[in-house]
Amino acid sequence: MVELAMGIMLGLCGLGAGIALIAGIGPGIGEGQAVAAACEAIGRQPESKSAVTSTMIMGCAIAETTGLYGLIIGIMLIFVAPGIFSGVLRDTVLALK
Amino acid sequence: MNKVDPAVKKETGYIAAWVGILSLVMEAVFLLLRRWDLSVLAGNLAGGAAAVVNFALLGLTVAKAVASGEPDKVALRVRSSRTLRLLGLAGFCALCIGVFKTNVYATVIPLLFPRIGLAFRPMIDRRRGTDAAETEGSDTLD
Repeated sequence: MVELAMGIMLGLCGLGAGIALIAGIGPGIGEGQAVAAACEAIGRQPESKSAVTSTMIMGCAIAETTGLYGLIIGIMLIFVAPGIFSGVLRDTVLALK
Repeated sequence: MNKVDPAVKKETGYIAAWVGILSLVMEAVFLLLRRWDLSVLAGNLAGGAAAVVNFALLGLTVAKAVASGEPDKVALRVRSSRTLRLLGLAGFCALCIGVFKTNVYATVIPLLFPRIGLAFRPMIDRRRGTDAAETEGSDTLD
């Protein structure tokens, strides 16, 4: 029974990590659209290229942080959460006995 | 070999400086909590380097995309670069934590340092603008 619970827990941690990484899709689409719009803007006003490039880099870096949160949560779920949850499970089983 | 856009160099330098400062602060916090060991230092170095390299690659991609002037292809290029960088970061962190046994927290926390640096950016720019205006004013008075 404990092995089954441990297996379910590990499986759910992996599933959660996979779901957390879905957060990386949104910023990618947003960045692509923003840079495409910046390209059009530079096409209209070529003299603003350096200012637009600098602003775009900063904007893309800020947008990318959302995906990084997902990545960090995924790493935590894979490397940290199983240890914590198995400890809780062990304590619960010992308390029940 | 293509020349690197000056904006990319400048912004990467700014981010690298912030990552360095915040890494020192993080090491100090680990020391204060008496949790410091070599795995923390290794994780911090790996995470900080990954954060700076990720930002530099982002900058290079954006600069190249903006210079290309093809809005249709640019969106796809940025999206694929983003996916590759995210997978690279995930793989690198998993390698460091899983194989080289670096501290998990010390490895992943530096990935967020560039965001903290960017949050302080408007404040620094405003101060620089004020300083420049004051200098110009004193020059005019002289």
